[in-house]
Amino acid sequence: MERSRLGVVTDGAFNTGLTVRLDADRSTEDLRVGEFVVIEGKSNRYFSMISDMQLRVSDPRLLSSPPDDAPPLVAHALAGTSTYATVEVKPMLMLDLTSDLDELRGPQSVRTIPMHFAALYEASEMDFATVFGKEGGTNFAVGTPVTMDIPICLRLDRFVERSNGIFGQSGTGKSFLARLLLSGIVTSRAAANLIFDMHSEYAFDKQTEDGHWVRGLRELLGSQVLVYSLDAEAAARRNVDVTLIIGLNQIEAEDIMLLADELDLTATTAATAGLLGDQYGDDWLRQLLAMSPDELAQFCQSSGAHPEATKALQRKLREVQRRGYLTEKASFSLIDEMVTALGKGRSAILEFGRHDSPLDYMLVANIVTRRVRRLYQQKMERFEETKAEADRPLQLMITLEEAHKFLNPTVARQTIFGTIAREMRKYNVTLMVIDQRPSGIDPEVMSQLGTRITGLLTEERDIDAVLTGVSGRSFLRGSLASLDTRQQLLLMGHAVPMPITVRTRSYDKEFYQDIQRGGRAQELPDVVATDIWAE
Amino acid sequence: MRIGEIIESTSTHFVAEGFELNHPPALGSFVRVCVGEGCDLYGVVCYGETGSLDPGRRAVRRSTEESFDDQIYRESPQLEHVLRTEFTSLAVGVIERGEVLQCLPSQPPPLHFSVHGCSADETTLFTENLHYFRILLRASGLVPVEQLLAANIRQVHRGRGEDKDWLQRAAREAANLLKYDYDRLMTLLYAIEPTS
Repeated sequence: MERSRLGVVTDGAFNTGLTVRLDADRSTEDLRVGEFVVIEGKSNRYFSMISDMQLRVSDPRLLSSPPDDAPPLVAHALAGTSTYATVEVKPMLMLDLTSDLDELRGPQSVRTIPMHFAALYEASEMDFATVFGKEGGTNFAVGTPVTMDIPICLRLDRFVERSNGIFGQSGTGKSFLARLLLSGIVTSRAAANLIFDMHSEYAFDKQTEDGHWVRGLRELLGSQVLVYSLDAEAAARRNVDVTLIIGLNQIEAEDIMLLADELDLTATTAATAGLLGDQYGDDWLRQLLAMSPDELAQFCQSSGAHPEATKALQRKLREVQRRGYLTEKASFSLIDEMVTALGKGRSAILEFGRHDSPLDYMLVANIVTRRVRRLYQQKMERFEETKAEADRPLQLMITLEEAHKFLNPTVARQTIFGTIAREMRKYNVTLMVIDQRPSGIDPEVMSQLGTRITGLLTEERDIDAVLTGVSGRSFLRGSLASLDTRQQLLLMGHAVPMPITVRTRSYDKEFYQDIQRGGRAQELPDVVATDIWAE
Repeated sequence: MRIGEIIESTSTHFVAEGFELNHPPALGSFVRVCVGEGCDLYGVVCYGETGSLDPGRRAVRRSTEESFDDQIYRESPQLEHVLRTEFTSLAVGVIERGEVLQCLPSQPPPLHFSVHGCSADETTLFTENLHYFRILLRASGLVPVEQLLAANIRQVHRGRGEDKDWLQRAAREAANLLKYDYDRLMTLLYAIEPTS
């Protein structure tokens, strides 16, 4: 296998990584921080990442009188001798070349380092394939290395089994990546998806910032994706499967706590909702809204609630009551039917249409998810009783945009999303959180995210947040800061063997064809569009 | 071509009296001494000196308004017999039956043996490797080592027919050896930079 040599290991430590002196004919400009490289030790091959680069001089006097207009011979003689570069390399995985077993098992975690003068090479296609696997099945090509044109695969089965996050500044391609991943997950049947689509951009064709049209998941994946809408008007115009109605009886005190910021409620006011819930159960909100001033005073007296706070709550919730998708009483049947479809491997997109304010989004997402998780919990309990494989609930991944609204440190402990993120895969329900400000998300939740995919972040706090609980964060910091603003991502965590920077695959005609080919090949005969409402 | 006879011999260097007054071989050029069948000891000229035969007598001024430079020698042919030119060479290796060894010779060259100038082919053969630079840079003579090495590189470059690749290789090797002494390195590099 022909690889191109970059330099030799001259120094290093297991904990801090290795220092490699670049060969004289190599320039730092040929390399990128975060680049995947290979060190050939005597008995191991080390798959590594460039974490830093340094320019060095052998004699400090050179720094005070640099030869600016050096003739060619002088410049050539100095390069690589008196002036040279070193790169810091962090081994991430190693392959034991002496054991046949490792050839079969693939690369293992690093347990040693190579000796002096082990050579550093650019990674070849074979190295990428050894580490990241070949495309196919649940190995989904998410992009290519920055300098090469070969697929880098994400293991979707591992991706969906834990909660995960997509981060990056606005414009770094988060929602395109989400679309890519969701298409991959649907076609590979790694999980069913429930997507809270705040800005109605996932289901149908959408025009991008640069003016061309990209396909929606419904159009791309057909009946495998069901579209729900909160907005009856939009539903009539678009090809929506179900218009979702939420009943006042479905709103719980927990939802009001979540909305405290949006409704500008004080802590006391929000707590009053709890007291009302205790007294009236499911019917609390309807009761509160219907209370006359006398009845309200009477309730406060009997329950010990603060009268002003209760009045404020009533006033604020009347605003909520006027939402078009709310009705006095609704059954959970629509959501339950959705869960049935999800249980059969369908995916569902919930569009918010014109109800796209944070308040609507948070309220509805919380209610729907609470119900979904409750049903999944029941399914899981049934499976644990029967132990029959047929009863095992299919993995469900919930896609959540603007995740910090649900998972910020103030509310993460109270919302259902916080619970799902923390309890991980206990009930086969995981989250895919999408956000541009990861620092707004509760660190405890961040540390539970299995796979993190991040585009460029410039705020220190956001970079720190994304790297919470990741080993070797100082190495990743450099690669994170050096990403391009578009179409470049750092993948790390559970679904990739080692962190890697990729140029994201284009969400274009070629991709649609790939997905449609793959989708047909994988589609199971027992799932047809007509039986989704059965059972 | 014989150019001198050894009059002092040590393990590290040898001094020869040149056959031509005032014209020792060029500083930095290669010389060789045939020390046995198929075995030549190679040296690099590191010092040249012309003076009185009698170490106790210094030369005195001979020029006048009308007679100076070459004319002095024409008018005083006895000078050829009272003056002599010596040159010192650093031993840098041997070529034994075509095999080049760049290290100090095991024996100093025998006294009174002839010193030969090196042909272009001999120089080319010996300078394929540049390990002898290390020996030159350890020399302790009156000529600064960076100047000596620069002179050697210039001579060999010319001897090898202005071989540009060799010059670049030599410059890199020198830069590598002098990497902790920037000032000397730059003196050397500027001295070997081709002028054209």
